[in-house]
Amino acid sequence: MVIGSGPIVIGQAAEFDYAGVQACRALREEGHRVVLVNSNPATIMTDPEIADAVYLEPLTVASVERIIERERPDALLPTLGGQTGLNLAVELAEAGVIERYGVELLGTPLDTIKLAEDRERFKAKMIEIGEPVPQSQIVTDVEAGVAFAAEVGYPLVVRPAYTLGGTGGGIVHDEAELRATLQTGLDVSLIHQALVETSLLGWKEIEYEVLRDRAGNCIIVCNMENIDPVGVHTGDSIVVAPSQTLSDLDYQMLRTSSINVIRALNVQGGCNIQFALHPDSSEYQIIEVNPRVSRSSALASKATGYPIAKISTKIALGQTLDQIPNPVTGGRTKAAYEPTLDYCVVKFPRWPFDKFPLADFRLGTQMKSTGEAMGIGRTFAAALMKAVRGLDLKFETLTGGAYAEWSDDELERATTEPTHDRLFAMCELLRRGRDVDELHALSTIDRFWLWEFKALVDLEERLAHGDVGDVRLALESGYSQRGIETLSQRGRTLRQAQGDIVGGAQGDIDSSDVAPVVTLSLSKGAGELGSIPAFRMVDTAAAEFPATSPYYYLSRGEADEMRPTECEAVVVVGSGPIRIGQGIEFDYSCVHAAWALREAGFAAVVINNNPETVSTDFDVSDVLVFEPPGADEVEATARATNARGVMLAFGGQTAINLADELTKRGIAIVGSDRRSLDMAEDREKFDAALEKLGVARPHGRAANTFREARATAREIGFPVLVRPSYVLGGRGMEIVYNEGQLASYVESAPPISPGAPLLIDKYMRGREVEVDAVFDGDDILIPGIFEHIERAGIHSGDSISVFPTQTVSDAMEERIAAVTAAIARELGIRGLINIQFVIPEGTDDLLIIEANPRASRTVPIISKATGINLVSAATRVALGEKLRDLRWGTGLRPKPDYVVVKVPVFSFAKMRGVETMLGPEMKSTGEVLGIDATYAGALRKGFIGAGIRLPSEGGCVLVSISDEEKPDAVGLMRRLVALGHRLVATPGTFDLLQAHGIAGERVNRIGEGAPDVLDVIKQRSIDLVINDFKSGRGPTDNYRIRRAAVEASIASLTSLDTAHALVTSLESEAGPPRSLQEYQATHTGALAH
Amino acid sequence: MTAAVRQAATLLLADGTRFDGDGLNATGIALGEAVFYTGMTGYEEAITDPSYAGQILAFTYPLIGNYGVSGTVSQHPHACVAGAAMKHIAEHPSHYASKQDLASWLDEQGVRTIVGIDTRALTIALREHGTIPAALAVGEAAIAGIEPALARYVREATTQGLVASVADAYRPGEVVGTGRKHVVLLDCGVKKNIIRDLTALDTHVTVLSYGANAAEILAAKPDAVVISPGPGDPRDLPGTVETLRALIGKTPLFGVCLGHQLLALACGGETYKLPYGHRGGNQPVKDLVHDEVLVTAHNHGYAVDGDTLPADLEATMVNLNDGTNEGFRHRTLPIEAVQFHPEASPGPFDARNLFARWLERVD
Repeated sequence: MVIGSGPIVIGQAAEFDYAGVQACRALREEGHRVVLVNSNPATIMTDPEIADAVYLEPLTVASVERIIERERPDALLPTLGGQTGLNLAVELAEAGVIERYGVELLGTPLDTIKLAEDRERFKAKMIEIGEPVPQSQIVTDVEAGVAFAAEVGYPLVVRPAYTLGGTGGGIVHDEAELRATLQTGLDVSLIHQALVETSLLGWKEIEYEVLRDRAGNCIIVCNMENIDPVGVHTGDSIVVAPSQTLSDLDYQMLRTSSINVIRALNVQGGCNIQFALHPDSSEYQIIEVNPRVSRSSALASKATGYPIAKISTKIALGQTLDQIPNPVTGGRTKAAYEPTLDYCVVKFPRWPFDKFPLADFRLGTQMKSTGEAMGIGRTFAAALMKAVRGLDLKFETLTGGAYAEWSDDELERATTEPTHDRLFAMCELLRRGRDVDELHALSTIDRFWLWEFKALVDLEERLAHGDVGDVRLALESGYSQRGIETLSQRGRTLRQAQGDIVGGAQGDIDSSDVAPVVTLSLSKGAGELGSIPAFRMVDTAAAEFPATSPYYYLSRGEADEMRPTECEAVVVVGSGPIRIGQGIEFDYSCVHAAWALREAGFAAVVINNNPETVSTDFDVSDVLVFEPPGADEVEATARATNARGVMLAFGGQTAINLADELTKRGIAIVGSDRRSLDMAEDREKFDAALEKLGVARPHGRAANTFREARATAREIGFPVLVRPSYVLGGRGMEIVYNEGQLASYVESAPPISPGAPLLIDKYMRGREVEVDAVFDGDDILIPGIFEHIERAGIHSGDSISVFPTQTVSDAMEERIAAVTAAIARELGIRGLINIQFVIPEGTDDLLIIEANPRASRTVPIISKATGINLVSAATRVALGEKLRDLRWGTGLRPKPDYVVVKVPVFSFAKMRGVETMLGPEMKSTGEVLGIDATYAGALRKGFIGAGIRLPSEGGCVLVSISDEEKPDAVGLMRRLVALGHRLVATPGTFDLLQAHGIAGERVNRIGEGAPDVLDVIKQRSIDLVINDFKSGRGPTDNYRIRRAAVEASIASLTSLDTAHALVTSLESEAGPPRSLQEYQATHTGALAH
Repeated sequence: MTAAVRQAATLLLADGTRFDGDGLNATGIALGEAVFYTGMTGYEEAITDPSYAGQILAFTYPLIGNYGVSGTVSQHPHACVAGAAMKHIAEHPSHYASKQDLASWLDEQGVRTIVGIDTRALTIALREHGTIPAALAVGEAAIAGIEPALARYVREATTQGLVASVADAYRPGEVVGTGRKHVVLLDCGVKKNIIRDLTALDTHVTVLSYGANAAEILAAKPDAVVISPGPGDPRDLPGTVETLRALIGKTPLFGVCLGHQLLALACGGETYKLPYGHRGGNQPVKDLVHDEVLVTAHNHGYAVDGDTLPADLEATMVNLNDGTNEGFRHRTLPIEAVQFHPEASPGPFDARNLFARWLERVD
């Protein structure tokens, strides 16, 4: 049995899908039957092809025990499912389940896991073997922490035990901060325990990825150096592999220490060790040990090519490193060796702050990023620029953009107090002439990096001053053609304005009528400059041995090593770093597209830059190009592989956005082409298409100015839904109720222009349904239709959705299918299309909200729910095959007799200050699936899987209901009381309860006198909070109530629809677990013809 | 503070493959075998490693010089390589122990250096062709004469004399350390860290030249003799082989790298030239006696043929990558040798206890 890591949350992303897939494959390679448990449906590991029995069931002791009882596994591999998998294994052992069913625990012993987690025992062990650890104390109450602080002084670091991604920890500088942080930390710790230790602020942070087998053989896979010194969580740091500022003696000293530590801990498998290294001596301290695969080990695997999870699994089965063949050299050598690199790797975190204006942006010991981009280059500069560009945040250069307008003070503050702005703030300071020593004093970042940044800033300045001779260096340093053009453009504009700084977004060259000084085309200009793209291999051995792994990155002006593919190639463009709105589901789609290409007899070429993912495993494709999916890199990849074309439909909006540029460069798009994509995204063209078909959509249009926007809103009537065009995850989308709100929205949104209009639609309250389909020009395939539990207005990614639909008639479903086919035909779709509809309340109308000519969040879910592999079908169709010749049938497929429910999962506990009220802007980071024979059972599993603690009988529910929803709330309150719950109500809601004769207690408003509603939440006398008041512009009372619930780890629901669903789930029991394979076998809709 | 890259340079291999790049200050032509080192750190140790005498050393890791030059980890009083080739050299090193940047130090040491070349393409060429004679010319004048110079070198090149050129770090008879046991070290181009490691194990070390005869060695009354690493072909030193043969059974012997090859020859084994050698810090070696894997530091172009070990020797170590012999011991006498470098510098410390383990045996 393998336990997965559950939904994507901050601190636990796609890296465990990558690890889990490798583990399952390695186990099956050795002839074992694999039972997989993971509640996350967007993963590759939960595909029926990956394990013999896949259980999409909640990751709780009760749920997993039932599966163990049913499957009777011989052994459990707990170290590949992240902290979630590890914690669950510990809980299963402590509950006696492991012993009761005679399950053997594979890999690193449980005691080691507990020892590494238990700070006190860990510290004692390290002292025993003579390895240095920071002065620290374990505390279980705040006073003990304060007493320790009195002894050793500030600053101190608070680290709660048994949490994910450092939740609740932080650096504290005085007693007040210590008290606040420690209280939160103790609360989120599963064992109510935290470590308070002396701070190593300013020390270098170095990580080692180590493997050890049962015989005691150890190897270092990779070491990594954080550019941000100790103090910023490694998940939020810019990380470089290998270390750059360590001498051989430093390197070997920490290598030896790593081996001492994992020997002492009896680790069997992968292990991550984090060190603090004094910048001015060889003194070091061990900060943390993770005896499992981790985000860092995924990074190390991709940085070196060494498959850590696969080898860890074989070690767990008892094999030794000198027996296991090295997959990179095709078995010529053994797994017992240490990779050596002939390139440099930079990882850059991707934060969700662009979506959350209220969030606390400061970086510390609590991880905040949702994903990461990795760059590989022959120089640090190239690796850094590729990582920065790969964030898909439109950063093509290090200087310019908004930072050019910041004051010196603001820039200095961002340099001293790390946020996502730090690198760019430092570069702007360098551009303003600050020197490396000054920046070192402000940031404590090693001068080595600052000199590297300075070299790039100087290069950008030279390009901006028209120095064409540096174009070659810029290309070799990882800049895109567009970036170089932007710089030369900036210089010309600057000179024309005679020294006046001109604002405007980075990369925005279209808005100007001045031609750039440098125009490049890859085939011509760059070639003439001697910087022809060249693909290099990642071979783990710096070319010492010939490698067989088809893993490449792009260099320039060097020898090309790309081998010709055996069949015609097709390029699948990946989706880059995981972020809110573009998650692991697109990686799932890319992987399946690659597999489908191979099945269809093509060579699959994948280009992506996310080190956490399965798609960047070189085992998945015939050629893996680890590069940002930018126009330059995709073009170079397509040309180098002589590809038939590129597939953009699987890499989310990131890939879709390349359609225009690639078409201009003469690269063919396989599947729906640029015209289809443009028609779906261009408001007017789309409206024209709908009109032609006689299909309705909410009234609305695109507005190019505020005046136009106001006129449109008046015409169609408030409330209206406003959003910028070409957005992702509903970014910047809001429901606006009046002109004042519209004005303030326009003020705070990105500037509107004819190239980037604002979209304004009538907001329709009603039931939302969502369809994923494949269209081949003649036939359509619709495996099923999802219905959203929450009414329109909440982003589809944040809604609970259910399949089959529960309240939509068969006739309406047929109509949906017909409209979907008509739209797909009109848009010229060849492959996937995702359409969201709304059925307005009290009507039988069907309105279209949006159509996306690409894979969507629901594609993996509907594929798993039905056994119809939509991506595979879409890939085959894009290649020219017809649905009727494939195995999944056509038309709207029959419904199964079970129900699946997708429940979104949020990372609010890790996003301090973020408003939890759901709306049109997506906020969830992941999702879980509940599958059961009944709707209520599926809901129940979904809620449990999402980590929502269902109140047990006699639980206490805090209700605070807005006036608009009060009529709807009465029934809900009655159901809660009927279930035996106590209601605590804020004054207005209390009046409602009284008016309807429902029992409940009144609680004071904030500031109305103690105890008020916040006190009640903080005292944890509440099990569930229901508060549906709309969010305002600032921190309102209701925002504070919702945040207090998050801080107190109490589930808080912001929609009555969700609350109704929760109550429904409480009213019945869930059925027994069944594997996905068993469910799919009963589903006749999956059978063709 | 930094030596900016300033002039043209060319690296020419004997098969005609040519790499054009930028040269540092030391002009002229360096001639040697082109070899590559795969360690990602340790450039100062490598450049001063006497075993690289007569070789143009290419670094596979592209970013060299990041932490400057400390002087304290140099393995020899001066740079020993014939020339150096790298992708990128750091202009602004950063490390508390750094005394100067690598480029200015290479200039001071007169090491002809080429920067900015495709070192990976060079490595692949060396892997596929095998170690090859090469010329590294820095400066226009030198480049003009590179072809005839290389042609002459190809005709006349010999490994003879390489050991003599670097076995000069210690005065013959010089005693280092004050420990109890007495070790005589036969210097074939020893690395400082071997002496440092031995003296840290409660020994004092008398350094004698590789040319010393058995009588001279035994006259020093050693508790044990260590034969050092060094450059070139072990068969260039028949005198030393003869000396070692005479010492068998008279005193405990421990050979490192070239010392390992010389001991094998003395015991009746054979050596041969590897296609492109082992140079780096990541070579996995299986210790057959203790049944464990050591990750070890390597720098050798020749190897002991494990199949030719005489009956009274047994293989103790084998390379997991290519199966080559990495160590042997005598079945009855205190004679041991390893092909790799227990002293690391540069490289991992996995084998650091080998000297200690052996010294315990010789008590």
